[in-house]
Amino acid sequence: MDALAGIEKVVALVGAIVVAVFAVIALRGEWQKTGLDDQVTKLLLGLMAFGCILVLLAATGVLPHLSGGTA
Amino acid sequence: MAVAAHAHGHADAHGHDEVIYRETRDMRLLGFVLFLCSDVVLFSSFIFAYIYLRTSVSPTWPPLDPVSGHQLPRLDVAFAAVNSVVLFGSGVTMHFAMENWKHAKRGAYNLFMWLTIILGTCFLLGQAYEYTHAKIGGWSGSIFGASFFTLTGMHGFHVFVGVVYLLILWIQSMRNVYDQDHFFGLTAGTLYWHFVDVIWVALFFLFYLW
Repeated sequence: MDALAGIEKVVALVGAIVVAVFAVIALRGEWQKTGLDDQVTKLLLGLMAFGCILVLLAATGVLPHLSGGTA
Repeated sequence: MAVAAHAHGHADAHGHDEVIYRETRDMRLLGFVLFLCSDVVLFSSFIFAYIYLRTSVSPTWPPLDPVSGHQLPRLDVAFAAVNSVVLFGSGVTMHFAMENWKHAKRGAYNLFMWLTIILGTCFLLGQAYEYTHAKIGGWSGSIFGASFFTLTGMHGFHVFVGVVYLLILWIQSMRNVYDQDHFFGLTAGTLYWHFVDVIWVALFFLFYLW
């Protein structure tokens, strides 16, 4: 069970880095656009990149409870 | 002469349609963004209810099991982290599907659209797995369970609707309902999918990291 959790942490870590990089690339592509849909997209992509950082911190154990017990 | 007049009339009609499309597109977009705002209000009311319960009802969190009296265990953060990456990844693939549609790259659009649908489905399967394995007492077993299943269930329903929505959009795009200048449905679908991603950021933090 611990080994499985370890694999999950590694997958989450690598996945979060990859997704965050592509989210930032997408955000840079949108940056100059000014339409309402573009502004909303920028906001949502930014928050999604923030979500990736949360996953990254959780997978590395910086944020609490990842290394704690499971349900 | 008659042919020229007919062609001129056709061009006028087309120009008029274009004006109508541009004007109604802005209104439809505003309406859709307002719909997303109303969904934010819906989720916010449940989230604030959870925060209230979390901070005021029980001195310990997770709270005690009302049946056994023992403290309920925490949720599996590692699994949820993987599931979160799957959902966030689908947000990125949806964005690139949209960009490829704008640049008339149909092959790449199809690839990214299907990746989005598959990743969204994988997230739902992950949620289903978690629902069957989380030992937090079920929906009616505890405050924690009630909050968790209500909020994540509501979000899961949104993801399910989103997957169906994307499938319909893909079928429509295959039937040439949209072209490179008229694709409001795809824009709305992309915004909706990003929205369900972002709601999950809040839920992931509240239920797994806090």
